[in-house]
Amino acid sequence: MVKILIACGTGICTSTMAADKLKRELEKRGKVNKVVITQCKVAELVSKADGYDLIIATTEVSGKVTTPVISGLPFLTGVGMGKVVDEIIEKLGL
Amino acid sequence: MAMLDYIVGLGAQIMMPIIITIFGLLLGTKLGKSVRAGLAVGVGFVGLNLVIGLLAGNLGPAAQEMVKRIGLELTIIDVGWPAAAAIAFASTVGALIIPLGLVINVLMLATNTTQTVNIDIWNYWHFAFTGALVAGATGSTALGLLAAGLNMIIIMVIADLTAPGIEKYNGLQGVSLPHGFSAAFVPIAIVVNKMLDYIPGINKIQIDAEDLQNKFGVFGEPILMGTVIGLLIGIGAGYDLKGILGMGITLGSVLVLIPKMAAMLMEGLIPISDAAQEFIEKRFNNRGKVYIGLDSAVGIGHPVTLAVSLVLVPMTIIIAAILPGNKVLPFADLAVIPFALVMLVPITKGNVFRTFIIGVLIISFGLLIATNLAPLHTEMAINANFPIPEGATMISSICDGANPLSWAFTRLMELEVVGAVLLIVVALGMAVYNRRRIIKENKYAQAQV
Repeated sequence: MVKILIACGTGICTSTMAADKLKRELEKRGKVNKVVITQCKVAELVSKADGYDLIIATTEVSGKVTTPVISGLPFLTGVGMGKVVDEIIEKLGL
Repeated sequence: MAMLDYIVGLGAQIMMPIIITIFGLLLGTKLGKSVRAGLAVGVGFVGLNLVIGLLAGNLGPAAQEMVKRIGLELTIIDVGWPAAAAIAFASTVGALIIPLGLVINVLMLATNTTQTVNIDIWNYWHFAFTGALVAGATGSTALGLLAAGLNMIIIMVIADLTAPGIEKYNGLQGVSLPHGFSAAFVPIAIVVNKMLDYIPGINKIQIDAEDLQNKFGVFGEPILMGTVIGLLIGIGAGYDLKGILGMGITLGSVLVLIPKMAAMLMEGLIPISDAAQEFIEKRFNNRGKVYIGLDSAVGIGHPVTLAVSLVLVPMTIIIAAILPGNKVLPFADLAVIPFALVMLVPITKGNVFRTFIIGVLIISFGLLIATNLAPLHTEMAINANFPIPEGATMISSICDGANPLSWAFTRLMELEVVGAVLLIVVALGMAVYNRRRIIKENKYAQAQV
């Protein structure tokens, strides 16, 4: 099981959208049951990031976080979403 | 109209599922998906009702005790933006805001008065909130709808004008932030920032953002913040140990649970927002420069925004206690202070000290605005079937109860014709100015090719 943490400004709004889209895209590729997705606020990232394999953030992330970070903006704008999903799959070796 | 009034009269948790299902079908979403989306919104409302009831039932009496014991006259409870959003969507203006917003966006794009394709349907609630306040204050749904529309036009223009700064300072390319709360503070920030330029000494101060973030990091965690505030209020109200601990755990829970309920509301709106996004994009995909309008949450990760908002959390509580005329007890919306700051960063050029000063001003005046609007805010909540305890307790929120633009709209529209004409002139004036700028920019871009 691979653990993904999706962070946004509130831990609610844009991260819910990004999580929803990511789940749907992974479902299409038959990989949705290989991941666990959690949401949080970007302000909590520094204390929470350690337990996760990948962070997807819809906003900027402090340089102190050592877990790999991918921008989640394509999930909101729809531009380049397929590419980002491929990148996520490749990075996590799904 | 009679049909609409009947549906709105059913109360938010019945009305919203029906309305969302209908919108879903109109925008071409399948029946099953539309119904599920509608029901998710209903669940969000029911959940919010429960949690707000828990908050008001506990914090209300404690606030009254604090008045008696220590003379701290903070009797208006900040129940947070999710309740404000629910109140907004539950109003008659709110029921019509999604089609109204889409039409305004399409018209503005067609007339070159905006470059923003606003796909952030969820945040249409800010415009609905202004409209609902106006409708409540004037008793006229038509004025409410007019106010909501004008509010949106003003915000769309601000979003266009600030987009280059957002791109430079937040690294968000091709994105603008037509957010009814965040963008409302831009004009104030521009003025104050200019004034600070002329104050010797102050115009040179620099503070490191990362350092502040480390020191105040704990204020970013709702569960800890809610519990600590709860304990303090329990002590202030003179409760016994059991009462103090109970207050701590209850308020900690509320601060964690309210956003979860809001997430349910959001989830229900996703299919609608997807369909609406497709609807506008299909019509405007062959134009010059277009910005995609997103939730200003995407800018919150900027270190300056985060650092300053963390410092502002304890500051807000102190300001609320000492500011003459304020009656708002800040609580649930301490978590959304960053939204007031997001769009200041490009204006202050990422200066921590200036962002902080403007933040303190926004909060101080915001608390007075929220105090002023609280009776109306509470009345609207009761109309939307929220369980507000009888008696002295009133509710408000920082987002959008403390929004200067919503306040200005409400008080100006109360003057009816004079106010309406004035606001129409301002909004259309901004739109025309923006059109000139856009046409010039497009010509320049063509000349370059």
